Amino acid sequence: MLRATDLTKAYGEVQALNGADLSVAPGQVVSLLGRNGAGKTTMLSIIAGLLRPDAGSVELGGIDALAKPEAAAKLLGIAPQDTGIYTVLTVRQNLEFFGELSGMDRATRSARAVEVADRLGLGPLLDRKGGQLSGGETRRLHTACALVHAPRLLMLDEPTVGADVTTRLQIIEAVRDLAADGAAVVYTTHYLPEVVSLEADLVIIDNGQVLATGTQPELIEQHRISGVQFEAAGELPDSLTSGQGLEVTRQGPDRWQVLGDIDMAQLLEYFGDGTARLRSVESLQPDLETVFLAVTGNRIDDESLDEEAAATDIEEGARA
Amino acid sequence: MTAALAITKLQLRIIRNDPWFLLIMFLMPLVVMPLFVKTLGLGLVASGFESASGAEVVVPGQVVLFGFFVGGSVGFALYREHGWKTWDRLRASAAPSRSLLAGFAVPWTVIHVAYQLILFLAGGLALGLRFNGGSPFALVLVAVGYGACIVALVLLVSASFRTINQVNAFQNVGAMALGGLGGALVPLEQLPGWAQAIAPVTPQYWAMRGFRGVFLESASIVDVLPSAAVLFGTAAVLSLLAARRFRADETKEFFA
Repeated sequence: MLRATDLTKAYGEVQALNGADLSVAPGQVVSLLGRNGAGKTTMLSIIAGLLRPDAGSVELGGIDALAKPEAAAKLLGIAPQDTGIYTVLTVRQNLEFFGELSGMDRATRSARAVEVADRLGLGPLLDRKGGQLSGGETRRLHTACALVHAPRLLMLDEPTVGADVTTRLQIIEAVRDLAADGAAVVYTTHYLPEVVSLEADLVIIDNGQVLATGTQPELIEQHRISGVQFEAAGELPDSLTSGQGLEVTRQGPDRWQVLGDIDMAQLLEYFGDGTARLRSVESLQPDLETVFLAVTGNRIDDESLDEEAAATDIEEGARA
Repeated sequence: MTAALAITKLQLRIIRNDPWFLLIMFLMPLVVMPLFVKTLGLGLVASGFESASGAEVVVPGQVVLFGFFVGGSVGFALYREHGWKTWDRLRASAAPSRSLLAGFAVPWTVIHVAYQLILFLAGGLALGLRFNGGSPFALVLVAVGYGACIVALVLLVSASFRTINQVNAFQNVGAMALGGLGGALVPLEQLPGWAQAIAPVTPQYWAMRGFRGVFLESASIVDVLPSAAVLFGTAAVLSLLAARRFRADETKEFFA
């Protein structure tokens, strides 16, 4: 459905994309993972025709999207990162407008508006003005506006930032349904549990380059790490800190991580008589976070996760 | 064309859902007009229009003055899309820049023309403004020319500027300065000589000349053709310049 090849884009001296590729098949959900500034939004903007690349090609449903943007646009729905709706229009009017903008006739867009609203839990709010919606409802309407013309490629740029739990679940459910209906989906997020929940395939991007692609099990297998995490009072045994092939990292006042060829039983051996100082021990489980860390050498935007969690907490508190 | 039509309908729907700006723009001149009728009527009588009441210049003057704000709202509407973060969504439709521009220009020209005609009607009802043999079609022709001209002018300014504050500043100064020079505040013959000399560079001058002709000099369509030709010609040139200058991918700043 989508084949973007060798995309290159520079903003002055900043190389936002440097030969990045992205392919998505019908029915496939691809999660574009990367830190802030990795090049995700630039890539989506180029595919959506909002930016011209310095080099590269974009083929959408067999159409050269750079040469025929208008034809390609009919196949594509994008919900940009910033929430954009018409606050003085009702939910229905917002949805119908974006349907009309895509060339849908009155009857089709009217029916489709109701269908999409229902899918995202906005059915009872169809005649409410955009400005009277809660943050989560606004976010859902923002997403719904990208779905209304039934695009064959849907691109959602961090669709759940600041969203409440209900909104997250409804958006994820809608994405799953769309993919099941055969749409190709590109989904960027910092929130890894969503990627797991979507069972999305991964494209990891950093510094404008695609560093890894594959299914979640494939990448987890490729970047399997072994080691233990534990909490222990006092100093660590010298034999452990100087153990060959072991990488010991302090993660908190009493919390440690040891990467390398070590399991829980071996850790106990290192502590010997001092095992009483151990409060907890767990094996390191490879997951998307560890994959991302292994591929990019960075964690995925801790700051964003904290802000996002805080925003969710605040909103849930307000609702309660 | 699909995008232009959709955006045109969107503009009208937004106004229908939130009509307060236009309502105030109707009420303001209706409040102001009666304050000047008598004074300007005396001036007209002194100028040889013995049966003039003053409404013949006051109503067109207020229409031209406040019409600049109404037609100029096209700039606000354009920048508002950036503030609402919907601009990229419009662009994602891949409509050519000219279609996007037309989607804003057409409805605001129509609104501006309707605004002028309704204010003239209100002037007739409230202040006894009459055609006195002038052609209603001539009035419509000049109103359309003025509407198109102001919308094109503000679109060019909007395409050239970067922030809504810059556009607003132009609108405020433009309405008063160009309106004053064009004879919308006081009749042209009462302006200083230097102002009379440069007045023809303003669209307001040609609009006032056309309107005054209809209400004071029984002008026909043929009589207002020079005014209409200047207005339509200027509108065409400004539209072309706006289309050339307008870049859909340019970042515009709405109110922070």
